[in-house]
Amino acid sequence: MLTLLKLLQSFVRALHSDGTPQQVAAGFALGAALGLTPLMSLHNLLVIAAIFLLRVSLPGAVLGWLIMLPLGFLLDPVFDAAGNALLIEVGQLHPVWTAVYNTPVLSLSNVNNTVVLGSVVGWLVLAFPIFLVARAGVRRYRATLGPRIERSRAVRAVRATKLYNLYRLFQP
Amino acid sequence: MPRTKLFRWRAIVPLLLAFALLALGWWLLLDRLVEQGIEETGAYLVGARVDLESADVRLGEGTVVLRGLQVANPNAPMSNLFEAEEVVADLQWTPLLQRKVAVDTLAVRGMRFGTARDQSGELENPSPQSGAVAREVSAWADAVRLPPLSLEGLGQVVDAAAVDPDSLRTLAAVRTITARADEVRAAWDSALAALDPQPRIDSAQALAQRLEDADLGGLNVIGATRLAGEVRTALSDLGTLEEDVTALGRNAQAGLTDLQTRLSGLAAARQADYAYARGLLKLPSLDAPDISPAIFGDAAIAWVQPVLYWLRLAEEHLPPGIDPRRYPGPKRPRRAGTTVEFPDSASGPRFLMEYGELGVEFAGEGMVAGEYLARVTGLTSDPTLYGKPLELSLSRSGAAVGPSNVGLRALLDHVSAPVIDSLDASLAGVQLPSLDLAALGARLVLGEGTTRLRLARSGDQLGARWSWHAPRARWERLRGTASGEWAEELLWRTVSGLRDVRIEVGLAGAVREPALSVQSNVGQAIAASLRRELGREVERVEREMRAQVDALVSDQVGRARRGVADLQRKYLDEIDGAREALDAVRRQLERELPGGIRIP
Repeated sequence: MLTLLKLLQSFVRALHSDGTPQQVAAGFALGAALGLTPLMSLHNLLVIAAIFLLRVSLPGAVLGWLIMLPLGFLLDPVFDAAGNALLIEVGQLHPVWTAVYNTPVLSLSNVNNTVVLGSVVGWLVLAFPIFLVARAGVRRYRATLGPRIERSRAVRAVRATKLYNLYRLFQP
Repeated sequence: MPRTKLFRWRAIVPLLLAFALLALGWWLLLDRLVEQGIEETGAYLVGARVDLESADVRLGEGTVVLRGLQVANPNAPMSNLFEAEEVVADLQWTPLLQRKVAVDTLAVRGMRFGTARDQSGELENPSPQSGAVAREVSAWADAVRLPPLSLEGLGQVVDAAAVDPDSLRTLAAVRTITARADEVRAAWDSALAALDPQPRIDSAQALAQRLEDADLGGLNVIGATRLAGEVRTALSDLGTLEEDVTALGRNAQAGLTDLQTRLSGLAAARQADYAYARGLLKLPSLDAPDISPAIFGDAAIAWVQPVLYWLRLAEEHLPPGIDPRRYPGPKRPRRAGTTVEFPDSASGPRFLMEYGELGVEFAGEGMVAGEYLARVTGLTSDPTLYGKPLELSLSRSGAAVGPSNVGLRALLDHVSAPVIDSLDASLAGVQLPSLDLAALGARLVLGEGTTRLRLARSGDQLGARWSWHAPRARWERLRGTASGEWAEELLWRTVSGLRDVRIEVGLAGAVREPALSVQSNVGQAIAASLRRELGREVERVEREMRAQVDALVSDQVGRARRGVADLQRKYLDEIDGAREALDAVRRQLERELPGGIRIP
């Protein structure tokens, strides 16, 4: 329930935030990495740092993470197979993995695990298409549904509450 | 349109703070993470629970202190393979950045083996790979066939119904011979019918009679020529017939020879039937090598199982070469996947312990009770990268109980294939274990003695000898054994006088499925005693058994023999008769021919 509420909140915040559609889409694409790949991995620290340091939409990133999380679980067999192919079956890549595995810090990245490598590669391949789809989606939403929802009684009723004013106080 | 800035500079400080908090959390949880890592890795390696009371990682000192380590026995989950009170490891930190563990020195205190556990050490959801070695060694132990030592067959009336005629080789052979004789008979009948020599013999005899009766001097040239032509034709026909009869005779002889060979094989078949029937009676084999495994086989398997287990574990986890290695990925909500390691000749091993000292304590008053100091050098997951073999030695460090003389040296050379392992361990003046020997209905209290294990392995081949010598052994009777009372008495009389007991267990062959051999002077003594005391009984029972087999097969064997003799008599005699008649008539024709008639 809490996750659903969180997802809804992220959804609303991302689509109605002041960020441009590009910023929301970029945040979404970066957040997708957190959902598609195993969270407790070194590369995700870099992704988190990028989300914070680059001017991308934070709600967009959270939205990308939450939406892509179940997809990541579903795609795990595919990631496993892809990682298996890259790590084991393609012998020409062994020198690369040997170098990565034996390089300090890089070896902590877990890319010698089939699911991690497969999902990272999967995210890298999907990141730009995700960005494009997300950007088009935000634009379309803001041109059509967004204004109507803004003007809806329910939203106005919520905005009239003290609770919403309290929430605004903590908005960044 | 204002250009959007790329960086969010104000986020740097909160981000650094967040990372610092993360690092703090990691540091606070480090002990627990190490504890969990050791428990999970150990469980994967051993195939049973590995419990650690606490782990204390001292980053400043570069040490890790583990307390209360318990490694459950995968084959006996309510006991530990070993436990250690405290393990102190001095680590090198730089390799940790490569996810590698390099232990400069390791000290283990209070290491004990075979201790009892409060909770079962069985894994709830073991992965297919975890404990594979233990399972394989157990499967080998289960597959070892030990001959039974049963005296139940002796003294019993021979059970004729137990001998199944369908299982007797003699009867099967008789059926084959009878069928073959029928085939031969049919073939000969057909060949003789086709040849039908008698009319041609009769015709030749008639011609000879005509020659004898004719006045050859009164024949003109035409008559003489015609007669010569008839004689020539008859002799030619007789020659062809004689060849055919001779060929038929050869075939008949070959067929008979085949049948007679089969008949002579009946003796061997009957011996096999005697052995089969003897097997039904569960008579004990009186060869010592057969009796010793029946007596000490279970104990021998229990002794060698841990040796094979550790040997296989070393083979599994200390492999030669630098090929990529695959392991199950870490436990997590997401799929674990496969983690592949890529050893590099320019880099260090994934795990290396240069030197370790293990204070080993064997509690109680058992065989090896006492305190020992084990030294290990060069324990590594990548022997090829380390370039030196693992050496292990054990010496006694004190205590009032325990062996008076201990020596153990092991060398595991896995630097390159084939792997070469050697082990020489000897304990003198130790309290050897007591053995409950159900086959004898007795407990053997070995008492103080000597044991020595020598093992050599090269590649896939293993050879090992484990000898036990107890000069002052004692015997105690076990109650409620299944053997008959008189048999138990006999065995008891035999073994109870034995004081000096020697047992030798051997392993030879492929490491994964070595052949087990057990020899002992106890087996030899029992065999001799059985021969002496049971000889007459065995002979009587065997006579009865032979009579039973004979009763089942003799009639049919007799019929088969008679059938073959009939064949010989009838057909060979007939063929010989035809051949003699042919010969006679040919000679008569030649004799009756006058000198003036030339047969071209």
